[in-house]
Amino acid sequence: MQNYRNFCIIAHIDHGKSTLADRLLERTGRVSAREMTMNQILDDNPLEQERGITIKLHAIQMDYAANDGNSYKLNLIDTPGHVDFSYEVSRSLSACEGALLVVDATQGVEAQTISNLFMAIEQGLEIIPVINKIDLPSAVTTIESVKQQVMDLIGCKEDDMILASAKAGIGIDEILEAVVARVPPPKGDPKAPLRALIYDSVFDAYRGVIVYVRVIDGTMREKDKILFMATGQTYELDEVGVLYMQRQRTGELAAGSVGYFTAAIRKLQDSKVGDTVTLANNPTTNPIEGFREVKPMVFSGIYPADSDDFEDLREALGKLSLNDSAITFEPESSSALGFGFRCGFLGLLHMEIVQERLEREFNQTIVTTVPNVRYQVVTTRDEILWVDNPAQLPNPTLINEILEPYIRAQIIAPSEYVGTIMKLCMDRRGTMMGQSYLSADRVDMTFELPLAEVVFDFYDKLKSNTRGYASLDYEYADYKPGQLVRMDILLNGEQVDALSSIVHRQKAHEWGKRLCSKLRELIPRQMFEVAIQAAIGSKIIARESISAMRKNVLAKCYGGDISRKRKLIEKQKEGKKRMKQVGKVEIPQEAFHAVLSLD
Amino acid sequence: MFGLYLHIPFCEKKCSYCDFYSIESTEHIDRFVDTLLAELRLRSAAGQQPFTSVFFGGGTPSLLRPHDMHRITSLLRELFVFTDDCEWTMECNPGTVTLERLQGYRAAGINRLSFGVQSFQASELAFLDRIHNADEAVTAMLLARQAGFDNVNMDLMFAVPGQTLESLSDNLQRMVALQPDHISAYSLIYEHGTPLYADLLKGRVKPLPEEIDAEMYHLVISTLRAHGYEQYEVSNFSKAGRRCRHNLTYWHGEPYLAFGPSAHGFIGTTRYWNYRSLTAWTQHVLKGALPEANHEVLTESDLLTEHVFLHLRADGLRPLETQDRFGIDVRVALQPDLGYWIDAGFLTDDGDLLSLTAEGYRVCDEISSKAAARLAG
Repeated sequence: MQNYRNFCIIAHIDHGKSTLADRLLERTGRVSAREMTMNQILDDNPLEQERGITIKLHAIQMDYAANDGNSYKLNLIDTPGHVDFSYEVSRSLSACEGALLVVDATQGVEAQTISNLFMAIEQGLEIIPVINKIDLPSAVTTIESVKQQVMDLIGCKEDDMILASAKAGIGIDEILEAVVARVPPPKGDPKAPLRALIYDSVFDAYRGVIVYVRVIDGTMREKDKILFMATGQTYELDEVGVLYMQRQRTGELAAGSVGYFTAAIRKLQDSKVGDTVTLANNPTTNPIEGFREVKPMVFSGIYPADSDDFEDLREALGKLSLNDSAITFEPESSSALGFGFRCGFLGLLHMEIVQERLEREFNQTIVTTVPNVRYQVVTTRDEILWVDNPAQLPNPTLINEILEPYIRAQIIAPSEYVGTIMKLCMDRRGTMMGQSYLSADRVDMTFELPLAEVVFDFYDKLKSNTRGYASLDYEYADYKPGQLVRMDILLNGEQVDALSSIVHRQKAHEWGKRLCSKLRELIPRQMFEVAIQAAIGSKIIARESISAMRKNVLAKCYGGDISRKRKLIEKQKEGKKRMKQVGKVEIPQEAFHAVLSLD
Repeated sequence: MFGLYLHIPFCEKKCSYCDFYSIESTEHIDRFVDTLLAELRLRSAAGQQPFTSVFFGGGTPSLLRPHDMHRITSLLRELFVFTDDCEWTMECNPGTVTLERLQGYRAAGINRLSFGVQSFQASELAFLDRIHNADEAVTAMLLARQAGFDNVNMDLMFAVPGQTLESLSDNLQRMVALQPDHISAYSLIYEHGTPLYADLLKGRVKPLPEEIDAEMYHLVISTLRAHGYEQYEVSNFSKAGRRCRHNLTYWHGEPYLAFGPSAHGFIGTTRYWNYRSLTAWTQHVLKGALPEANHEVLTESDLLTEHVFLHLRADGLRPLETQDRFGIDVRVALQPDLGYWIDAGFLTDDGDLLSLTAEGYRVCDEISSKAAARLAG
């Protein structure tokens, strides 16, 4: 155990985490130079690669012969880089004794890094600061200030920081030596009752769930009967091993090790991240702290573009949830969209990932509605209802109070943007909770904001208003009452349930006006005039109209025109089939998440 | 019905808007006629049943001399069978006709003429690159009647840049005064690949706004109706009993053979088209090979789509026919839209026939694509 080092990398998107990980693997001979050409091995999901973020957690064991003459087993545990997955991050940090804090020499510290760093410090991890990308020409002018930020942040000395360029291979040996010298070896008692932390699990079609664990105490061996303490499920261990580039069966894992096991587990939901694995016949009395159920925070309707494909969509969601334990889905129906599902997500990115996976991996053509949060409604009879679909909000006369979820947002940006950020957050009904300067020109601001206000384009606005310099991190706070009303959209007098939203009373007029005018842009001219109205209850608060199309017919259709004309009609037909119809009005799919693109 | 189309690919001058295949040279006409005769022989086995219509289109078929026409119609009669009341149409440029020529065509068997009049305004004719003038159009009509033609069509073009409702109205009045038996009135199409389209892309031509186009269309329909012309297709109007049988063949999904470069034929479920090049077409025919550039076999779904949109844009869809042919009850399949269309006056249902109204023709493509989506979905 003395030769084990379990560590992770904390970094902001684009600060070079994946490149550094690749470089470490290459240096320890885990990956050949040829494999390196495939670059950034840890991010094996195409979506992750595209977005430059890591969503799923992985771990890789490296053998390293250190300068002290000893050989070490280094377990690099990767962490996801987005706020939607902060719980997963906290669990993977729990599996480590140390963390490399990677900061871009030209960019400085960002919000995401800080929150993950604080999480790591709270969990007692040894932090090794790495200033990356020092070879960039612009680093010359920024590096001193970045160094100062890091020193202020973690209270380290200048000598504690390693200057590196993962891309150019600078500082890699120093990093490996520092991991060996500074990250403490794992503690734990191999003879105590088994305590293993689940920090990730993935579904494999052939072997069931593959569970990634860090063994804290005890030893797990194949054939052992194990117990998942949170779910109460028991299984017999099939295969136990460690993670090199591929899984390598070892038959057992003892305290201090990081590895995997399989046990013919069919459902990902049975092996919850953060749960403690112990032995069924000799259980620990002391489960690992910090487990919680992951709850969806953002909801959206997902409907098949073609209503005949409902069952296909159900199957796709079922399969998708095999390797995404966080998504929830329940059938619902809408007069505009037919039969579909109300799906719950950890956050917006998670939602986008699910939507894209449905389209790419499962070939589903879907229509999604505007995301919303889950409201807590107290009725006049003092019942509490949870509403995650605006169309299901009860009649206002039956509502005593509506509560909505709030977040605590941390925003770090150059100080010149303080005013801009304040204004944005105030516009979004935010309250400033605190502000501190990380350096002379870099400010760290904390706000409380309704999650519903962040769900719509907040992040994009923040980025564009600060020319990309602001970074955001948030955690869920609590539910607070708000002056909330349901705003409906009517097309030619018929309510379109999938376009209903819950908005703050004071913002309803403005919101209604903007939504109507956005819909006016998105809904094409039709054979009939279309009246678009926004309403609260029976009161119309905004209206627009789309005049009827005047002419749509090609004059000429003779022998040589027919095939061409048929193809044109077929093409238009496909367009029609993608539209959803409410009454006489055809609505393009984009209209259902129109508010997302309001400016 | 069984139609026969012959494409005559020559023009004195090409019109900027026209996307039919033709070349601005008449020196190869003799050789062309020889080749056309050879192609007729190549396909002679395909004419199993009597033809009900023959159509000489172009190009400018009136560039053929009566003698040429005679050679073609003689061979046609030798190779194929025609019904007694077979419609024999040829397109004529009003600028290229004389009494003698028209009499010659009539002697060769032509019994219907179609004049590309387009407009009576010099500026509009110039815009369209037409080689004739308004007087020649009037003369052509008189000569046609004098030569004994009792079935004459005139083409009219509207939504021409520079045109006004007043000038269109004048065109309509002057055309109906000539009492043609049939009028085809087209809204100008900016076809890909034409000089007009290039002008559009370069911003040298600005199409009339959709509103004006719609108003002009309305004026065309109402004027022609008021003068006893019945609309039986988006762009076609006729006096009683004078619908163009050949064009109905296209729109009713009936078979037609085709000859000449770029011509399209349709037999069974196959549509074929000849090379769109006089040279390639000639080379194939002279080698004894069919000059087909390609063909497509229509699937049941293609046939259904064509059945629906062609009938809708022409003289209406008969639910019983659709039921027999495709096993689909259109009245059920088109709900709820059919109800909206009827309520809004785009369509009428007289029990046997669903047909577009003047308002319906105006948005025919919208209705067709929606109908196709409903029927295929």
